[in-house]
Amino acid sequence: MIDTTGPDDLTPQERDTALAAEYVLGVLPPDEWQAARLRSQTDGAFAALVRDWEAQFSALDAGFAPVEPPEAAFTQIENRLFGAPPARRRGLGFVLAGWRGWAMGGVLAAGVALAVMLVPAGPDPLIARLEADQITFEAVYDGEALQIARLGPPAGAGRDYELWAIGDDGVPRSLGLLRGAESRLNAAVLGAGITLAVSLEPEGGSPGDGPTGPVLAAAVLAARS
Amino acid sequence: MSNAEISAEPPMDEVGALLTRVADKDRAAFTSLYSATAPKLLGVLVRILQNRAEAEDALQDVFIKTWQRAPQFAAQRGSGMGWMVAVTRNHALDRLRARPESRGFHQASDRSGQDPLDTVADGRVSAESTLIAHGEARRVLTCLEELESERAQAVRGAYLAGLSYKELAERHGVALNTMRTWLRRGLLALRECIER
Repeated sequence: MIDTTGPDDLTPQERDTALAAEYVLGVLPPDEWQAARLRSQTDGAFAALVRDWEAQFSALDAGFAPVEPPEAAFTQIENRLFGAPPARRRGLGFVLAGWRGWAMGGVLAAGVALAVMLVPAGPDPLIARLEADQITFEAVYDGEALQIARLGPPAGAGRDYELWAIGDDGVPRSLGLLRGAESRLNAAVLGAGITLAVSLEPEGGSPGDGPTGPVLAAAVLAARS
Repeated sequence: MSNAEISAEPPMDEVGALLTRVADKDRAAFTSLYSATAPKLLGVLVRILQNRAEAEDALQDVFIKTWQRAPQFAAQRGSGMGWMVAVTRNHALDRLRARPESRGFHQASDRSGQDPLDTVADGRVSAESTLIAHGEARRVLTCLEELESERAQAVRGAYLAGLSYKELAERHGVALNTMRTWLRRGLLALRECIER
């Protein structure tokens, strides 16, 4: 990294050692801090320096005095991570069946394995796996877009797979069609607690506001590695 | 010695053990982890962000990150509480940088009238006790003693209050580049002492 403040007779190794400490301490100006963060994620040697300083400076942690959190804080954390309270979560059919009298329960009950694990990742995109009887969708969410790989047959002539997101209001919102073995959908508003569902629709997607065809697999979006 | 910070803080290996279970998606462990660590972590956030409401909001983010990233702790080991404080500090620093303007120069004195460096002295004593209690050899505390006191204060102030170079320079009444050079030399001296 170029030091625009001028030569300061440090060796490159010294400069990195100091930079790693400066990064951990948080003294760097914003652009240098961003660069150091990126480096800590991509440069193994630098990351090791950072971890070393973190371990050392943690000796100072006793200097932080504890502060009691508000009562409801943990409940809110759980809701964000694990979705709506049990009455809601128990039945995905319950959530979806209310949609314009469109009956979901039977389809979901028929031997479909539900396993979507999706992590809205920070710097590290993580893999998610949605499995049904005949087909699997693997999704990766990086905070901006969903990358989805289909393992299994295409939707077939005159049909499309469509991906839906269902939030607290119970209203399915289309994220787009899954065509081809790989899809990339912009999805800036996903987060833990949202239900993802894949339905089988006429070609071009559902003609209505919500799913019209059977839902192949669905589950609550939850953080998981 | 009884020290509020020590008694409020569970042994480091207990937090580490809970984190390892959280890495396996053990929700009961996650609940226990919250009980054991939330006050400490909120303390970190309040100290750095200096805004109670924002700190409480950030606390939720921290625990969500903890749930997501616990496997990373399990992979690397080390102190559980140390890892969580590091996640928390980094998150607080993220938030500071996301603010439309950087923090004002007058920080802790605006709130409690207490200069962050005053608390550091207590922190130093209890940290040593923590080390003795857990048998870890972290030389940094001894080495900070060796460092000239103003530099040691700058290091502690930066770590505990999240002071930037800009703030440190203003606090010490020197130019920004002067502070950078001065602190970097101090950090290198610290590292050299640690590795002795």
